[in-house]
Amino acid sequence: MFSNRYIFIYSSVMVILVAIALTIVAVLLKPMQEYNQRVEKMQNILISVHIESTPKNAEVLYKKYITESLVVNSKGEVKEGVNAFDLEMQVENKKKSEDKNLPIFICMSEKNEKYYIVPVRGKGLWGPIWGYVSFKEDLNTIVGTRFGHKSETPGLGAEINTPPFQNQFINKTILNNEGSFISVMVVKGGAPDSDMHGVDAISGGTITSKGLEAMVHDCIKEYTVYFSKIRK
Amino acid sequence: MDSLFNLFVRSVFIDNMIFAYFLGMCSYLAVSKTVKTSVGLGIAVTFVLVITAPLNWFVDTYLLKEGALTWLGADYADVDLSYLSFIIFIAVIAAMVQLVEMVVEKVSPPLYNALGIFLPLIAVNCAILGVALFVQEREYTSVAEVTVYSFGSGIGWFLAIVGFAAIREKITYSNIPAPLKGLGIAFILTGLMAVAFMSFMGIKI
Amino acid sequence: MSNFKLLKAPFNRENPITVQVLGICSALAVTVQMKPAIVMALSVIVVTAFSNLIISMLRNTIPPRIRIIVQLVVIAALVIIVDQLLKAYVYDVSQKLSVFVGLIITNCILMGRLEAFAMAQKPWPSFLDGIGNGIGYGLILVIVSFFRELLGSGSFYGHKVIPQSFYDAGYIDNGLMILPPMALITIGTIIWVQRSKNRDLIEK
Repeated sequence: MFSNRYIFIYSSVMVILVAIALTIVAVLLKPMQEYNQRVEKMQNILISVHIESTPKNAEVLYKKYITESLVVNSKGEVKEGVNAFDLEMQVENKKKSEDKNLPIFICMSEKNEKYYIVPVRGKGLWGPIWGYVSFKEDLNTIVGTRFGHKSETPGLGAEINTPPFQNQFINKTILNNEGSFISVMVVKGGAPDSDMHGVDAISGGTITSKGLEAMVHDCIKEYTVYFSKIRK
Repeated sequence: MDSLFNLFVRSVFIDNMIFAYFLGMCSYLAVSKTVKTSVGLGIAVTFVLVITAPLNWFVDTYLLKEGALTWLGADYADVDLSYLSFIIFIAVIAAMVQLVEMVVEKVSPPLYNALGIFLPLIAVNCAILGVALFVQEREYTSVAEVTVYSFGSGIGWFLAIVGFAAIREKITYSNIPAPLKGLGIAFILTGLMAVAFMSFMGIKI
Repeated sequence: MSNFKLLKAPFNRENPITVQVLGICSALAVTVQMKPAIVMALSVIVVTAFSNLIISMLRNTIPPRIRIIVQLVVIAALVIIVDQLLKAYVYDVSQKLSVFVGLIITNCILMGRLEAFAMAQKPWPSFLDGIGNGIGYGLILVIVSFFRELLGSGSFYGHKVIPQSFYDAGYIDNGLMILPPMALITIGTIIWVQRSKNRDLIEK
């Protein structure tokens, strides 16, 4: 009933039509999707310094509070001509330490305090985890954190993006008494309140907790040279 | 090596395709009347998974992802074809299933007789596409990880369907409330099996 | 069957999930909260309706040998369009649905209805059949997510409905409801209730 030729032409025409239709849809909707991603990023940056925003007002608030952004490298030099907001840690993390572009966002709070926000990205149990960590002007005390994940186990590793876990980081410090970098540890079984460098791990989410600890340590370590420059 | 073993155990027991994500439920419910057929389907699913998941990973990494076409030259670095991934993945799966069917038929007729009837079913088994999409979403970085993950998921699926079929054979003669017979009790049983599998959650290796 | 019947039958007596046993796969993981469940249901309705319509219009031109591939291509194209629209207009929900939108492609409802209905019927009835089956499927999702969200997180469509005084008196949200096994058991219970009412559906 149908010749081979007919089948061949039929499938070719169909594939071409479908490809054209999909490309048109993808191209038309791309600007909106990218806008959504930008807004989400802005919201995440803002929430790390405890500024709540909705998708509608995120852009306004972002412009108001995030007064400055810059890119440095691991030697502590400021890089010109790179837009901090457009950098993706996913790409930067694959580079060698000395080639990495390290973005820093600077926020002026209502109380006129200056906060520094840096992005972090690492590996959880199942897939990537990421977030933002903000510091006070001493570049030692943590103001707030915001973590995200794609596919950690619900109820266990997925807890990293809940306020109870994130709020533990507030007021912890990343430098020891001698002033050298030790980051914040995620302590299994719970950290005592007096521990300035430790937070409680998630029970049952050990691998995610360890991944998060490594992520915070590794990503912030890159900034140490620049941070100590600023502190002086 | 440790992390690969870890990944394997987790994909078999904790992130089990059936009990945690409900993937491949249709054939799971339809082909679990006897242990014998479910062993056949379980092996077929594992087999196809191990072939298609790494293949789809290659396609995604070297053709579809943003920047994946860089190997063609710097001009292509910005091309992002990831919106085509669903259609390409399903095409790869359908084509591979067809190919496997033909090869098995030629090379090993006994195996074909055992697996043959299940193969066409597998193209539309959600678990196969599901694994391909999970691999894409979780950004696995090496082919070893992908292969181990897909093999583990297949084994997990196999265990689930074989265990379920064994229980189903046993309860044929049980006195179940009439409206719950068949499908109803099948769902509840699967739920209870899922609870049992959840006890693996705290596992550490 | 009249057109209206085509639309209505899948709600109850021919429900795709509880009676036809189609399309359980991809959906249950999104029933923890009502909002993603509703968006998922709407996406499935759109895809079933239009894939039924398109395949029914093409039914006399499709060579039988490549029938399955043609169906898959049409479904996959529609799913991609839906996925792109979700990412553009309801970004937060599309993040929650993650891979499960893509899994609509292998949702057995689609292939099942295309094979059983659209390949043999005129476009308009096929379209209605698609909508009906989509809604019947969505209905189960919404019911399951209603119970899971109410009992699991004490809320309804994201709003807290269980008053604080209950919690003060010692009430605790049932954490098990959020985990996957309870989705299966909830469906089992729905089937039980449905078959007690329609006794002719009982399996021998």
